[in-house]
Amino acid sequence: MLFNSLTFVVFFVVVVTTYWSIHSWIARKNLLVTASYIFYGAWNPPFAALLFSTTAMDFWLGRQIAKAKDQSRRAWLVGSVCMNLSMLGFFKYGNFLLENFQWLLARIGIIYQPPHLDILLPVGISFYTFHSLSYTLDIYRGVLQPTRSLRDFVLAVSFFPQLVAGPIVRAGDFLPQLVTAPRLRIGQFMWGLLLMTLGLFEKIVLADTMLAGSADRIFGYAGPLVALDSWLGVIAFAGQIFFDFAGYSTCAIGAALCLGFHLKDNFRFPYAAIGFSDFWRRWHISLSTFLRDYLYIPLGGNRVGWTRAAINLVIVMFLGGLWHGAAWTFVVWGLLHGSYLVIEHASRALIGERAWTGNFAVKLLLGFVTYGAVCLAWVFFRASDFTIATRMLRGMFGGHPHGDAILATREMLQIGIVTFFMMLAHWSLRETNVETAVTRLPRWLVTTAWALMACAIILTQGTSNAFIYFQF
Amino acid sequence: MPSSTSNFKRILQLPRLFFRKPTEAESVHGGPPLEFERPIPQIPWRGITVVVVVVVIAAACAWEFYCRSIGYGPTLNDNEDLWTMTRQRVKPESVVIIGDSRGWFDLDLDELQKGLGKRPVQLAMGGGCGYPVLADLADDKTFHGTIICSFVPRLFFAPPGTPPMERGEKAVRRSHTQTPAQHVSEYLAMPLEEHVAFLKQEELTLDDLLKRLPIPNRPGARVPPRGPPYFGTLDRERRARMIEECARPGSELQKRIQQIWLPLFTPPPPPSYIPTDVFMAKMKDAIEKRARDTIAAVKKLRARGGKVIFVRLPVTGGLKALEDKTTPRNQTWDPLLKGTGAPGIYFEDFPELATFNCPEWSHLSAGDSVEFSKRLVPHLRAALGM
Repeated sequence: MLFNSLTFVVFFVVVVTTYWSIHSWIARKNLLVTASYIFYGAWNPPFAALLFSTTAMDFWLGRQIAKAKDQSRRAWLVGSVCMNLSMLGFFKYGNFLLENFQWLLARIGIIYQPPHLDILLPVGISFYTFHSLSYTLDIYRGVLQPTRSLRDFVLAVSFFPQLVAGPIVRAGDFLPQLVTAPRLRIGQFMWGLLLMTLGLFEKIVLADTMLAGSADRIFGYAGPLVALDSWLGVIAFAGQIFFDFAGYSTCAIGAALCLGFHLKDNFRFPYAAIGFSDFWRRWHISLSTFLRDYLYIPLGGNRVGWTRAAINLVIVMFLGGLWHGAAWTFVVWGLLHGSYLVIEHASRALIGERAWTGNFAVKLLLGFVTYGAVCLAWVFFRASDFTIATRMLRGMFGGHPHGDAILATREMLQIGIVTFFMMLAHWSLRETNVETAVTRLPRWLVTTAWALMACAIILTQGTSNAFIYFQF
Repeated sequence: MPSSTSNFKRILQLPRLFFRKPTEAESVHGGPPLEFERPIPQIPWRGITVVVVVVVIAAACAWEFYCRSIGYGPTLNDNEDLWTMTRQRVKPESVVIIGDSRGWFDLDLDELQKGLGKRPVQLAMGGGCGYPVLADLADDKTFHGTIICSFVPRLFFAPPGTPPMERGEKAVRRSHTQTPAQHVSEYLAMPLEEHVAFLKQEELTLDDLLKRLPIPNRPGARVPPRGPPYFGTLDRERRARMIEECARPGSELQKRIQQIWLPLFTPPPPPSYIPTDVFMAKMKDAIEKRARDTIAAVKKLRARGGKVIFVRLPVTGGLKALEDKTTPRNQTWDPLLKGTGAPGIYFEDFPELATFNCPEWSHLSAGDSVEFSKRLVPHLRAALGM
């Protein structure tokens, strides 16, 4: 079920109304579990069984880890990690691994034709696997006690606002919220609705209507493009993916607030980042902190010397790229970000903290360099293969002076205007948050903005396009 | 006196979460109570919400009145989910209409039911290529009914990757992969679309309104031509009917659509990055492959008792001249019938079918479609051996 569908509107109204009408906290939690499984099963009912089996296994493994001592604790954790990652590996990387295995054999002269596995990717598997995995990892790390309630853990993993496209909510962040029943607070509920409106506006109006068409046409064009169109296509995609994914996260946070739950921010104005470490503190925060806490730090983080820390960064970003999709283009995207981070760390080590680096003009310049480099990496993220990525890069750097121009002036204006206001908003709000901004704004402006966003959503109607991150 | 900033600091506590050892009671639920809370802006929410709701309802009503005042009426949107719901009505022995918008507008289901004894299932689609649907029905082993395929050469032979082909493929794909949520969404959308005029996905959306802005393009920019504006309605059986304004002789809407068909039906220039001769050879290969695939699909259907009949429905005015020039009958229609061995009805071959006028050159008016279908029935019966 998509947030931008009529089914969800009706579903959400029914769930919220029933939820706040019930007095018993246990009954409310049962309702949320049922609603979450209906929400997930509405895509493909059999996959709800897969979701439950993963969850139940981790619930049991969590208890084993807590009970066990020393080596056997580690063994149970390895069991949990293997179970989760093999599930992810089979559904998401099965065909990719077979194709690469075939390629490797061909290099040494062995012709092998693997069967193409007709595997349907369960929607959101990358997200709920991480929700579930965080539970056993945190119990192993000693920061979380295993819950005694299977129902609570099932709800923590499958809570419908964040189930299929994040934010990646750790069990340790969610389970404590199931201790006491939240109270209905009018401000919190309305703020949740406003966030849902903002999220849908970002997705339906800005991502799908203003930017997606141009990005799709540019990346889908089979011929050479002039530099202007190539750059605009990439800039359009940079905006599209931000509004699409941040829109989903904002909707998820809003929907959770309407039910009395608190999810952390997943985006903090990432295109105003100054440097790549800053970018990853602002973009898909739930994934970057997950990778930091469960991969980068266990690998030694930056406590193991400069070279090893650089290797750790590259490993983390390589796996982060692969998490997004089973294709080498995603790996290159991850490796590019890994290299950016290494270069940034090296530059910091060489230059150190100088007074001039605090100058606003320098910050702005570094911010735009960061944005440009991030856009370059998006080429590999969006292109379905290296031929397209190479053609795009050649176009962007003037390799096709006589290439085609395919964007209408209207599309160019849309990309320019939306990107300008997006950058303006990111830079204006980079040191604060939406809540502060809304509190500071005049009431009439908040009212007008909310009404305009709602009207634009109705006007756009939406064609229930899936969110980009569903495929991950 | 505290500054406004310090007030904000108090109101908007930064998110934080930390762990302490849970009590025995708390450990049942996995940990201590939450210490992370999202900040909530302290503003008069009730008043703001009431104003927003009133403004949005008023704006939606005003937009609805405006849309109706300029000629729009409520109609269903033709999307993949509606198509899928119609596809699910196909029974093993159904009569099915496939192809393009002429099959959609020109064939009246009531008249065909009277003449053929079965109510046809309407699977033709606006701007769509009929081949993916033909192939899907040929692959459906339970189906052995009758297919009436509307044939417009430029659409039927549209190469893979072009909008007509993609439209057909998307619809077929959706019919195999539709999720329960998509099915329910369509059920919920239909009553709304039947009563609200502005709910038109291909005409009154923000995207379409932006496309109407008179902004000139760069010289030489390869921008795809625009599709026609709203000129028909659709019911739950996917029967399309031309609106009166379009059928009214000499109406502005009619003239506007006529001028839109011409660039849409004009072959686009070869891409700049492929030599013309190579491109033309590729196109020829694609058309030949489509012909071969069509022959195979028809054969497959016939092998289990199914029937296929191709129909060339009326086209008039400048569009007819353009189609005759760019896709002449002897290079498209004749080889198709010869290759498939299927019967065909070409409107020009029969005086009683050739006298109809298409108001916007491509489709019959709602009234004419009834009369046309009545006259078509005897030919269909003869071709099907009934």
